[in-house]
Amino acid sequence: MSIDTAVVLAAGEGTRLRPLTHNRPKPMLPAANRPILEYVFDALLAAEVERIVVVVGYERDRVQDYFGPTYGGVDLNYVVQHKQLGSGHALLQARNAVDGPTLVVNGDRVIDASIVRDVATEFEDSGAPTMAVLERPETAQYGAVVLHEGDVAELVEKPDTDEYRLINAGVYAFEPTVFDAIEDTPRQEGELALTETLTRLMSSDRVRGVRTEGMWVDATYPWDLLAVADEVLARGHVADSVRGDAGYGERHQGSRGDRVWVDQDATVHESAVLQGPVVVGPDCEVGPGAIVGPNAALGQNVTVGANVTVRRSVLDADARVEDGSTLIDTLTGQDVRIGAGTVVPGGPADVRVGREVFEDQRLGAVLADRVVAEGAASFAPGTLVGPRAHIGTAVRASGTVDEGAEVVR
Amino acid sequence: MCGIIGCVGREDETLDVLVHGLSKLEYRGYDSAGVALTGGRLDVCKQSGEIADLKRALEAREVAGAAGIGHTRWSTHGPPTDANAHPHLDCTGDVAVVHNGIIENYQELRDRLVSAGHGFKSDTDTEVVPHLIEDALADGADPETAVREAVEQLEGSYAIAAVVAGEDAVYAARNDSPLVLGIGDDAVYLASDVPAFRDFTDRVVYLADEEFATLRAGDYRVSDADGDPVEKTVETVDWDPEETGKSGYDHYMLKEIHEQPRALRQCLRGRVDEMAATVDIEDLGDLSPTGVQFVACGTSYHAALYGAQLFRDAGIPAQTFLASEYATAVPPIGDALVVGVTQSGETADTLSALREARRRGARTLAVTNTVGSTVARECDHALYIRAGPEIGVAASKTFATQLAALNLLTLGTTRVDGARSTIAALRDLPGNVQSVLDNSNAASVAETYVDSDAYFFIGRGNQFPVALEGALKMKEISYKHAEGFAAGELKHGPLALVTEDTPVFAVVTGDDEMATKTVGNVKEVEARNAPVVAVTDGQSDVERYADHVLEIPETHPRAAAVLANVQLQLVSYHVANALDRSIDKPRNLAKSVTVE
Repeated sequence: MSIDTAVVLAAGEGTRLRPLTHNRPKPMLPAANRPILEYVFDALLAAEVERIVVVVGYERDRVQDYFGPTYGGVDLNYVVQHKQLGSGHALLQARNAVDGPTLVVNGDRVIDASIVRDVATEFEDSGAPTMAVLERPETAQYGAVVLHEGDVAELVEKPDTDEYRLINAGVYAFEPTVFDAIEDTPRQEGELALTETLTRLMSSDRVRGVRTEGMWVDATYPWDLLAVADEVLARGHVADSVRGDAGYGERHQGSRGDRVWVDQDATVHESAVLQGPVVVGPDCEVGPGAIVGPNAALGQNVTVGANVTVRRSVLDADARVEDGSTLIDTLTGQDVRIGAGTVVPGGPADVRVGREVFEDQRLGAVLADRVVAEGAASFAPGTLVGPRAHIGTAVRASGTVDEGAEVVR
Repeated sequence: MCGIIGCVGREDETLDVLVHGLSKLEYRGYDSAGVALTGGRLDVCKQSGEIADLKRALEAREVAGAAGIGHTRWSTHGPPTDANAHPHLDCTGDVAVVHNGIIENYQELRDRLVSAGHGFKSDTDTEVVPHLIEDALADGADPETAVREAVEQLEGSYAIAAVVAGEDAVYAARNDSPLVLGIGDDAVYLASDVPAFRDFTDRVVYLADEEFATLRAGDYRVSDADGDPVEKTVETVDWDPEETGKSGYDHYMLKEIHEQPRALRQCLRGRVDEMAATVDIEDLGDLSPTGVQFVACGTSYHAALYGAQLFRDAGIPAQTFLASEYATAVPPIGDALVVGVTQSGETADTLSALREARRRGARTLAVTNTVGSTVARECDHALYIRAGPEIGVAASKTFATQLAALNLLTLGTTRVDGARSTIAALRDLPGNVQSVLDNSNAASVAETYVDSDAYFFIGRGNQFPVALEGALKMKEISYKHAEGFAAGELKHGPLALVTEDTPVFAVVTGDDEMATKTVGNVKEVEARNAPVVAVTDGQSDVERYADHVLEIPETHPRAAAVLANVQLQLVSYHVANALDRSIDKPRNLAKSVTVE
């Protein structure tokens, strides 16, 4: 592949995913057991990209600390977008770090390498700005696309009709002239959206749209991360491209079903049952009698005590779940403490976010970073708990619990 | 303390390889640098200042050759000037030498050479070497023999590399200073430390003391002091070459402070089992010490003070010594295990202390970050802290991982009650450090006190070494006066230094008798109108007497030391940054000190 550079946009918070984004941007939220951004890098590596420019901004330390200066032997060159003024503005920050044709990829969605390859191939054939296009039943959250003989004929952001069936996948290829095109684009309310520039390019020249398939999963709201994990586990995309399957140890004797991945540096008690699909990250400890899975992902250094049940849940790094707890349809941030005998019985529920109510969502609870729940607490379906909230012993929590709140019985 | 690089077999790229290597070695010293390449005759370029100054000097010149050597210097003999920069030449200009270490008999050799008519251009001990080689060549020796004959006359510590005009070869010798060969497909490299050539090869050969090596394109030979060939094992190093970039931070030190959660995870990985309450460390054998003596310098000394406390808590007599003192006044060792703590594994003072201990029959253990380092090879056992490369001269992540590793060492070699709670606290450390990094207000505290006259740090028990380390960090990177004291010592003298312009950082964790006593010391300070910054987990009432609070999560007292230290690292960093100091390369300091 002659296009060997990629710019990854990873500066945005993803405000609709609050309270999970309190300490990190959306690309660092977990898709099963690893950050979303890691899948993006894996896809770029598989497409033989040799240089990655990462545009960072909101809570950028987290991206830099996690990945460091290289990923899988590929240099990561960080550039900073100090104010988040749109995707076009973000890409513009990479101008001095790019000197030839480049791929541009949103860092906040899990993608397959095939999408990247399709865009690169089309760009090399046509030489025109190229965008990956996917078929999706729901287009309302995305940029809807209409293609005419492989050219993008229409690009409508968040359409309010359901007549569209194709969306912009957020994977592009450009010549460096795109930077001038962005600069020439008038700002809308101070912001520069990349799609505005694309719309201008469509009228002056042409923009190619390449129909592509393969895994493409996005999370808009916190509970979507549970569906993202389902998809990643179903496809078995748990091993990162750097360590590969070598990172996973021998099959645990309590494994049931296919797709049970246990990191070689995890400890699982012989009497624990791992029900696939399930992934257990490095440094995890799973105690006697625990039942983990199906559809469970434990990030690194998670502790699951004796006789704990974890089902269709994502427990992010450093979570500690003490003996006898039950977590169903639960999503935790990092470093969450769950005392003995805590129960999250699972969805469905009507979840209220601000003034909006999302009906019938399959969600037990979302516990943001560093929530502490003392023992014997229970969480009504759809409970959202803000970071560092403290849930006292035997509290029955429901609705929304604010950041840092102290809830006692 | 200097860095050496050498290369044969890269044809036109020799200069680029040398300069690249020097930039990777800059942490070892950076007050002057130079290169010598074997063209028709020798091309030499050397310059006082940083590598960047050398690069500028090189731009104005044509320097080429198929073999070459380079050097970055940290002055021990003579000020940092162009003349004192390495490589040094003989009278004919056909022999160039770079050297790391100290030649103890150089005055005697120099007197002899001067009276024989040799002209010296520098104040360095190194310059005797090219002239000795020149004499041997004049006597008809071939270059390899000439270099060997010169080296035979040297006493002291050295890693030496030499080139001779007309020979596409590099000659090298080692005694008490680090030297490692890198084996490429056609090229062979040589350096003080692996990162210098890690971008070109991951296959290395570590030279031992009194070994001699000749490097030619696609070929290297190692021989012992008698000239007999030595069969060396080629080892593979697994450091990611680019792990030494700044990944978006302004300074390596801030990057390394932020890397602490990751470094701690690496340090603990596969070694602890909380469920079984066991610690499993490779290479400790059946160690079960009845006494422990720690030897270390600088930050590692503070870690060792903490380590000795852990052993004493486990009922094992343990003491900590400054390595430079220990080496010259060795205490009775008895059956004690002697533990050397050194990040680089090449700290000369620590190496000599350990050698003295070994000479007296003691069993020795190295706690180090560097696989294949001298300390790891010389000691009976090695415990690696696995922090990954640390480039900032002021140690940060290596201190955190030293503390974690010393906990592993105690847990792995003693029977202690409450092992499970300690292991749980260790496993919680990465997340807790992340919490400090996410929420710290150290930057605003630093801003408040950036103009203060001096900074004092107090702590008790596990927090006493943290107070010392907090002060050392402040000294190293901000150049401000800072002292750490055991909290109880304050009233026995140092209190006289305390004024309203000397903030006192009090590390108070837990709410036991120790905390209560430290809070009492804080009141003494507060009564003298000194600003108080409390580093606390909020369990005691120290906040009532503090002007500022740097909060850490509540945890085991041992783990609290690591967390408190992170806050103090950040304060020092932000003070130094506000003062626009050279944070990664403080004046007069070098990363690993390989001279005594």
